[in-house]
Amino acid sequence: MKLTDREQDGVVVLEPKGKIMGGPDATLLHDKLYEFIQQGRTKVVIDLSRIEWMNSTGLGILIQGYTTLRNSDGQLKLAKVTDKIQSLLTITKLVSVFDAYDTVEDAIASFN
Amino acid sequence: MMKPVIKGNSISIPSDQEYLSDVDVFIEGILRGFGADESAVADIAISVSELVNNAILHGNKSASDKAVAVTISKSNGCVEISVTDQGAGFDPCDIENPIDDANLMKEVGRGIFIVRSLMDQVEIEASDRGTTVIVTKCI
Repeated sequence: MKLTDREQDGVVVLEPKGKIMGGPDATLLHDKLYEFIQQGRTKVVIDLSRIEWMNSTGLGILIQGYTTLRNSDGQLKLAKVTDKIQSLLTITKLVSVFDAYDTVEDAIASFN
Repeated sequence: MMKPVIKGNSISIPSDQEYLSDVDVFIEGILRGFGADESAVADIAISVSELVNNAILHGNKSASDKAVAVTISKSNGCVEISVTDQGAGFDPCDIENPIDDANLMKEVGRGIFIVRSLMDQVEIEASDRGTTVIVTKCI
């Protein structure tokens, strides 16, 4: 997995690319989120459109990010969730946990 | 130091998550050769990654002298994959239901549940010499 980030309207937008299957992927995203929290940047959107697939490790990373940000008075939202990831969120019932939006712009606007 | 070894339709890797991508490249290549569509490739690749993660972390407990073996075959339109570790085995009944409210926000514990959801058949053969999980999906 590769990870890039940018800021738009005071919201951090994370753009992971590739597959999230375990190992170094987990620490990469976790460390990035921790870095943002340390900087006081706690409104985060993850654009999932370039993730080919993820497994339960990827879902665990999303939960960890959601919980960590919430405990820091922030929020994690998802954007452009692919059909394959949506299917995983549905069968694991995590669809009820995450706020997901069709576009990154919609996700950013939801913070206001 | 052990390295991944490929023999025909099998790959053996050391107990290190660093080699997950080697297994993925190997499995996805064979699946495309079998004519599987991209959705089936993803479902099977996700499942294999879950099983190999479990074999490395929970089966072999990341022991450097233990390996994980993955074998893939196709018969009558169905793909069968076995994942074998060299650990102490486990009782599948001990796995908690990840969609219970009490477990929903846990960061781990969904692997086998996801495999059962994505694959057509899952068999677990556990002994004190290791665990083999055999999964089947018709493509």
